[in-house]
Order: sequence, then structure tokens, then C-alpha cells
Amino acid sequence: MTLEKSRSWRWGVNRWIILGLVILGVIGARAYPPILPHVQLPAEAVTSRLFTLPVIGDFYLSNSIVAMLIGDVVLLILALSVRSAIRSGEMVLRGIAGAIEALLEVLYQMAESTAGKWAATIFPWMATIVLLVLMANWLELIPGTDSIGLIHHAEGAAEGYPVQQVAQIGELPVLTIVKAGAEHAAEEGHFVLTPFVRVASTDLNFTIGLALISVVMSQVVGLRALGLSYFSKFLNVKTFFSRPLFGVIDFGVGLLELISETSKILSFGFRLFGNIFAGSVLLFVIGSLIPVFAQSAVLLFEFFIGLIQALIFGLLTLVFMAQATAGHAHEEATH
Amino acid sequence: MEAEKHMVGDIVTAATILGKLIGAGLAMVGVLGGGIGIGVVSGGAVQAMGRNPDATGTIQTNMILGIAFAEATAIYALVVALLILFVF
Repeated sequence: MTLEKSRSWRWGVNRWIILGLVILGVIGARAYPPILPHVQLPAEAVTSRLFTLPVIGDFYLSNSIVAMLIGDVVLLILALSVRSAIRSGEMVLRGIAGAIEALLEVLYQMAESTAGKWAATIFPWMATIVLLVLMANWLELIPGTDSIGLIHHAEGAAEGYPVQQVAQIGELPVLTIVKAGAEHAAEEGHFVLTPFVRVASTDLNFTIGLALISVVMSQVVGLRALGLSYFSKFLNVKTFFSRPLFGVIDFGVGLLELISETSKILSFGFRLFGNIFAGSVLLFVIGSLIPVFAQSAVLLFEFFIGLIQALIFGLLTLVFMAQATAGHAHEEATH
Repeated sequence: MEAEKHMVGDIVTAATILGKLIGAGLAMVGVLGGGIGIGVVSGGAVQAMGRNPDATGTIQTNMILGIAFAEATAIYALVVALLILFVF
């Protein structure tokens, strides 16, 4: 009874808060109409050069690394909260810990049905990838990502927008970018924004890195499962002399296997990158075309895209690892 | 003479932008195949689920995998289009 009462009370306040936010959004979009930002494919550096390695080059703190660190911290906090919930001795976990338990249970059942007895080995890789990619993708939905940062002069002459000062914090002026030709533009010129936080999945370094981890670790899992005979999948010389014609074909198939293993890295990396980068460009464009309501629908769409892409990345990792453990044993059984 | 030079530069810039936009549009034709592939995969999966509702879980997992592979080629086209628009 008391629970219902408090709930209805909260709902009564919440709807006025939401109405206020909608009105604020309309007024804000009238005052400062959103504009299409300067879209840049590589991640931008938010600090000056940190250090230099001789062969590799300069190191910067880029804004996608900031996003990935935020995702890592959120994941660590979640993991610690689940740990303390389990330590507390409750049989049924509640709140966020319960939700994460449910998610992990679904993932583990998936792993068990695909990988069988290797599920316990493969599951940590898959679950880590799913959770990290999920955090990286959903950061896109939080206001302030991609929109708060340093304003500086554009490099190209034709790019950029004029700026206007809205506030001042100590020495630091707070600026906003306004439409070219707006009558209240304080300073004409070509300025662009470098955001502090940029979604990690829109940086190829993040996606290709995860893809490399996934593919390399699937070789390691395969090696653990089958021993050195795992490599005969790629360099198949077993039937080379006993059955000359089919031996050559088997050898060629092994080489193709090698190529497909390499192309997995590209397909993993570009799938996640393409989906999320296209999603964030879609958010920019819709926001600049229809500032008020349309973006909510696109945000919901991006919510599902982020979830599905995280699940697909994890699921494909799981399937490739399971294939690496099982593929060859199956072949031996049929011979 | 100076004005003429300026005009030639303008025309070259306009042609560059035009080529970029047309190229990106043509690159996106590749998405066609991905769309057809995803349609075939999920159509087959829905039919299979209708015939054998008990196997929904397995079919769904395999469907999502198949969609992911079909989608990958479309995403390559998308990445090429994005590269043309924002990098070159």
C-alpha cells in the first residue's frame, strides 16, 4: 500500500518535470538552433602531446579514450556493486545487481548451448566484450557527449561557424557555436568544436583493437582445446601425399581458412564502427534538421542498435571461439 | 585575369564537392545487397519459427548471426561512403 502511494506520488511529480524539460527544449532550440557539427572521422586529441615513442610516434589523450575510460569505470563500479550484493548473503539479488545477474545468465546459457564444455573458458571473453561495447555504445545517448568541448579555429578556411559568448566562469569564457548569418553572432569566424568525450565505438582504434583481441584469443582457445594439431586447420598437409588430388584441395582450403581468419578482424572492426558512427552522424543531422521531438525517436533507435551491435560482437566472438575448439575434432571423428 | 583565375578555382572546388557527393551516393548502392540478404534471412527464419515454434531460440540465434554477416557488406559500403565524405 505504501509502495503504491509513493509510486503514484513520484509519477505525479515526474510528469511535470518531463513537461518542463520538453518546454525547456523547445525554448532552447528557439534560442540556440542546433547546427550540423563538423564531422571528423579520426578521434581528436584533447590534450597537447603527452610523450613520444621513437618509432611509433606522438601520444595524445584522444576524446574516444576518455569515453572508453568512462565506460571502464562504470563497468568496474557495476562489478563491485554486484560483488558486494553477492557478499551480503542475499539469495535473491535486487536492483542493478539483479539486472546484471539476469543479463549474465542469459549470456551464459547462450555460451553453454553453443560451446558446450568450453563455455566456462569462452564466457569471460564474450561477456566482457558485450558489456564493454554496450557501455561504449550507450554513452552516445547521454547528453553532453559530442557536444561539450573545446572551441577552436577550424583548419580549413571554408569550414566552421561563428561563436557567441553565453557566460563566463572566472577567466574562462563559455562559448556556443551559432548559425552563420545569425544577427546576434558576437564574433564572426570559422570555429569548430573538439568534444571532450566522443563515443569510443566511433574510433576505429577501439573497434579494431577489440577485433584483434577476439580473433587472437580464439586462436589461443583453439590451441588450448586441440593442442598443436589446431594449426593443421590452416596448413593442412595430412592428406597431401596419401591422396594427391584431394590433398591439394585440402591444402588450398586451409589457406582460405587463413584468409578468412584475417578478414574476420576487418569485418568485426568495420561492423561496429560503421553502425555506431553512422548512428552518431544520424543524430547530428536529425538534431540540426528537426531540433525538438524527432531526436527522441532516433535516440530510441540508437538504443536498440547499440544493444544489438554489442550482442552481435559478443555472439560472433562466442561462435568463432566455439568453432576453434570444435571444428577440427569433428573432422577427425568423421574420418 | 585575376577574376578569371578565381573563377577557375571556384569551379574546381565545386567539381570536387560534386564528385564527393556523387561518389558517396554511388557507394551506398552497395547497401542494396545487404538489404536483400537480411530480408531473405529473416523471412526464412520467420517461416521456420512458424513451422516449428519450439525451435525459436536456436533459429533466432542463427538468424542474428546470418543478419550480421549479410549486414557486414552493407556496412563496408557505408564506411566507404563515410570515408569519401569526411576524410578525402
